[in-house]
Amino acid sequence: MSTAIGGTTREHAVCIDSVDMAFNVGNDDEVQALSSIDLQIEQGEFVSLIGPSGCGKSTMLRLIGDLLTPTSGSVSVFGKPAHDARVDQDYGMVFQHPGLFDWRRVRANIELPLELHDWSKADRTDRSAEMLQLVKLDGFGEYYPRQLSGGMKQRVSIARALSFSPRLLLMDEPFGALDEMTREHMQGELLRIWKETGTTVVFVTHSIPESAFLSNRVVVLSARPGEVNSVIDVNLGERTPDTREDPKFFQTTTEIREALRAVEGAV
Amino acid sequence: MIATIVAKRIRSLGPALLVGVAGLTLWELVVRVFRIREFLLPTPSSIRSELVDNWSMMRHAVWETGRIAVSGLLFGIFAGVVLALVTTRFRSLNEGLTPLAVAVNATPIVALAPIFNAWFGITGTLSNQAVVTAVVFFPVFINSAKGLTEVHPDEIELMRSYAASDWTIMREVRIPNALPFFANALRLVAPLSVIAAIIAEYFGGPQDRIGNVITSNAGLARYDVAWAAIAVASALGLALFAGALIVERVSMPWRLGVGGGDSNNNPGRET
Repeated sequence: MSTAIGGTTREHAVCIDSVDMAFNVGNDDEVQALSSIDLQIEQGEFVSLIGPSGCGKSTMLRLIGDLLTPTSGSVSVFGKPAHDARVDQDYGMVFQHPGLFDWRRVRANIELPLELHDWSKADRTDRSAEMLQLVKLDGFGEYYPRQLSGGMKQRVSIARALSFSPRLLLMDEPFGALDEMTREHMQGELLRIWKETGTTVVFVTHSIPESAFLSNRVVVLSARPGEVNSVIDVNLGERTPDTREDPKFFQTTTEIREALRAVEGAV
Repeated sequence: MIATIVAKRIRSLGPALLVGVAGLTLWELVVRVFRIREFLLPTPSSIRSELVDNWSMMRHAVWETGRIAVSGLLFGIFAGVVLALVTTRFRSLNEGLTPLAVAVNATPIVALAPIFNAWFGITGTLSNQAVVTAVVFFPVFINSAKGLTEVHPDEIELMRSYAASDWTIMREVRIPNALPFFANALRLVAPLSVIAAIIAEYFGGPQDRIGNVITSNAGLARYDVAWAAIAVASALGLALFAGALIVERVSMPWRLGVGGGDSNNNPGRET
């Protein structure tokens, strides 16, 4: 699956092609989670998925990550089936729950995916040091996760997801459990990391300002079954703390809010 | 650093020591002042002197019973852990085996001691070891199985996102996750193994074990000797409990985190 951009052929980071997803198929409690989803995500894009709760945005993320298999349709990641992309470690994943292992020190948590892919000890040490720097946690490598604050844990989780330099980062409400101040700070940090690494990001959120502040595009889903209702392009230029007070930022959030209202009204 | 830890330990033991000494003194005083008859309750001092006088017998008895308790304990732990691993790995087995294990646990196992004597012989150690093993097995099995399965679903998905195999997930996530649960079971079963061994010994067998020392001396109205044997038995139980705590500390260094305090009473993990 590819498109021509500026004369060169480049694969989509993610290509979702008429995907349906149902749970408990054939049972009384069958649920249609997603219906005829089509979505292409370019490399280097930052795309947010937003929608009412239960609209299947997390399901969509898990389909991209091959943690779920669609009932029909296909998902490809960097031009290959999602399954192959998972096996090839093309993406890193961050959840709302930081999912750090208490029994591993911060450094060892970051090195876990590297260990699983047989990196040498020296390479692992170098990379985890680099990652700690990237998420501004140098000096915390020998701490245990339970000694860190919620925001710090989520930074470690991001460092771990990026440790093997995946081309795609899948994030499921990663800042949902953080307080407002920490959350805004982490958003700024994520954009910095996104720019430094050039990774494509797919970001699930239920926060309108968050989706507007972070994304190039916001995909608004309707609920049950989830369908792509609208895709909103965000053109806010370089994000700074002042962006949040920019009238254009206000316009964008209004646009997203109205799209969401239309969707919720239809339920 | 180590000196401060030791000092802190001793200070934290202070209140317990104080209560212990005060309790023994009160006991001694009450027995003397109210002239409580020896067979009802001997004084701590007479128990102590019987302990000293019969030291070689007591030492031998605690060795015999200790061997039975510890070996039965290890067998029970081994069986419980292995079955927990197997049932976690093969879910369908779990559905068949867990109800059976619950049913077995509902049976008062020590009541089987006379039957075990008939099965395994009354003169050897096997019969009593079997009682201890049966008592220890269940809490270890249930707790370990709980720890192996109660993993945050995101953590499993994370491992799957790394294309990790079931075995890797077992090794890297399930087993470490189960350790605090296992440690809780260990605290429970370590002293329980001594209780089980002694009760099993009440049903007969060689006369050189703690349980038999207690019953035979009580039968001869030598209550202070029986009490001395009870004191030895409780020391054995305490020693095994302390052993369980040491295993817990050594196997889970991350639970001693700076600023985390002592959170060992908290099974599972914070989320």
